[in-house]
Amino acid sequence: MTSFVIGLLSLAAMGIAVMVGLFVPIALIACSFVGVWAIKGSPLLASKLLALAANDAISSYFFGVVPLFVLMGFVVSEAGFGRDAFDVANAMFRRLKGGLGVGTVGANAIFAAITGISIASAAVFTKIAVPQMIRHGYAPRFAAGVVAGSSVLGMMIPPSLLLILFGILAEQSIGDLFIAGIGPGLLLAVFFGLGIVAMATFAPRSVGMLSKGTESLHRSEIWRKALPIVSLILLVLGGIYAGFFTPVEAGAMGSIGALTLGFAMGRLSLKQLWTVLVETGLVTATVCFLIIAAQMYSRMLALSGVPSGLGSLATDADLGFWGIMLIYVGIVILMGMILDSSSIMLILVPLMLPVVIPMQIDLIWFGIVTVLAVEIGLLTPPFGLSVYVIKATLDDPSISLTDIFRGAAPFALIMLVVLALVLAIPQIATGLVP
Amino acid sequence: MTKPDTTQRDPIALRLLDAVTQGLNVLGSSLILVLMLLVGIDVAGRNLLSMPVSGVPELVTLSIVAIVFLQIPAALRAGRMTRSDGLLSWLTRKSPRLGQAVATFFDLIGIAVIAVIVQTTWPIFTRAFESGQFIGAIGDFTAPVWPVKLTLIIGGSILILQFTARIWRRFA
Repeated sequence: MTSFVIGLLSLAAMGIAVMVGLFVPIALIACSFVGVWAIKGSPLLASKLLALAANDAISSYFFGVVPLFVLMGFVVSEAGFGRDAFDVANAMFRRLKGGLGVGTVGANAIFAAITGISIASAAVFTKIAVPQMIRHGYAPRFAAGVVAGSSVLGMMIPPSLLLILFGILAEQSIGDLFIAGIGPGLLLAVFFGLGIVAMATFAPRSVGMLSKGTESLHRSEIWRKALPIVSLILLVLGGIYAGFFTPVEAGAMGSIGALTLGFAMGRLSLKQLWTVLVETGLVTATVCFLIIAAQMYSRMLALSGVPSGLGSLATDADLGFWGIMLIYVGIVILMGMILDSSSIMLILVPLMLPVVIPMQIDLIWFGIVTVLAVEIGLLTPPFGLSVYVIKATLDDPSISLTDIFRGAAPFALIMLVVLALVLAIPQIATGLVP
Repeated sequence: MTKPDTTQRDPIALRLLDAVTQGLNVLGSSLILVLMLLVGIDVAGRNLLSMPVSGVPELVTLSIVAIVFLQIPAALRAGRMTRSDGLLSWLTRKSPRLGQAVATFFDLIGIAVIAVIVQTTWPIFTRAFESGQFIGAIGDFTAPVWPVKLTLIIGGSILILQFTARIWRRFA
């Protein structure tokens, strides 16, 4: 058996194990171990590869700040800024059909400017928006779907952990990547909003029996709620672009800012801070453990020659620019069904760079395309991270995983449309970049 | 996330294990706060005193590994480790015995691979400890790397015990 075949077999074994319900990181580690053993014929070598990856895979400054981005997301939500964003957005959209849904999207877009991870948005708005939508007659499936769909804005609108990761992998300016994310992020938010209004108008049954509008807010009330959020956005994005700190440090500065505001406004107690820290720790451990396992897996794959084999297949096939881009996007979306966002980028981006750089493409644009495609995977079964987070946060047995996946499906489709637009019109992403 | 409600009925060994797990969790959570302050001090030092604080990148790099391995046993205990449990819970409903058998098999795989990692990290730890391996630059800032390797071994061992506890609880 050639190592190429072993690599493909391990890929299949991993897929099956994950679908049957083995813990994803354990499945990745086990397949890497068996794969390397089979390729090199040495269990000792296989265990060394595992241990080395466990020790050094995440030992870098970039991964070091992962918990701080998670912490920023949770502090901001624990201090109630997510609810503020939700109230402000609702006041703006309450006259629309499906207004609460549009409001959730709007709130997510605002919230995305002070968090860098989708799971924080998913967790926050599951708690805030889903109950409120259900109370106003929205179908639970639709409500959860809206939250799942709009949570991906967290990764597109800066600051964004995935864009930082891409910037490091491709040696591109993270500041430029952030600017490039604004256009597609806003476009995505607008399309989500339009999609919700369209669904509420043309397929009211899927949305639910809506009761009439929500309570209106006084103008001064809106400003009072908007002010802390606006100042946090100014701190985080302003600090980056004024050169006070790097995008990588933005997580720490945002956390400090949100903590200061939260304590000053009497919205946080030490007990809450502790809850948030523990929660941050659990999320960080889960995500980083997955990244470690994905690193072992990609090292095993590299040994098997599957990636380079696929790479030379792509070059030999003479597919041209569009052929390669479409296949790439297709593979990213497919992988998004079984792996989490950072793992996909860690595996695929280093493989693709040698293929796309000779084509003289704009790597900033390539990064935005990658993140958009990766984020579609957050919403697709069997492994859609956002959907899992929502399910876990919801803690309501009457709303099943399948329900949330079905509810999120229209939003995954809209993302596909936006992705096609960004592919066809790169200026949506690169237009703002100096 | 949810407090395990079986704590009261658990035998002393399992309660002890959960206490240790929570202790590691507390350590890891505190480290995150330290991390935030470190980066904050670095940024402040650079901008306000135009004096960067040496060692911050090194400490951040080291502590993330420690944070992950301190918290991962708690994540498993809280049922937070990533998995797609649809098929398995369906199986358990259809045939509890088969479901339990599969779940136990999966836990055993977990024990096996983590044991491999812990066992192979041991020589890495002893080497780092004996040779005084460090990161940073001499004269500026140095930090020993062995505490992080030790954290990995401790966290990994507790993770193995938590996997074992899952099997124990299943048949107790």
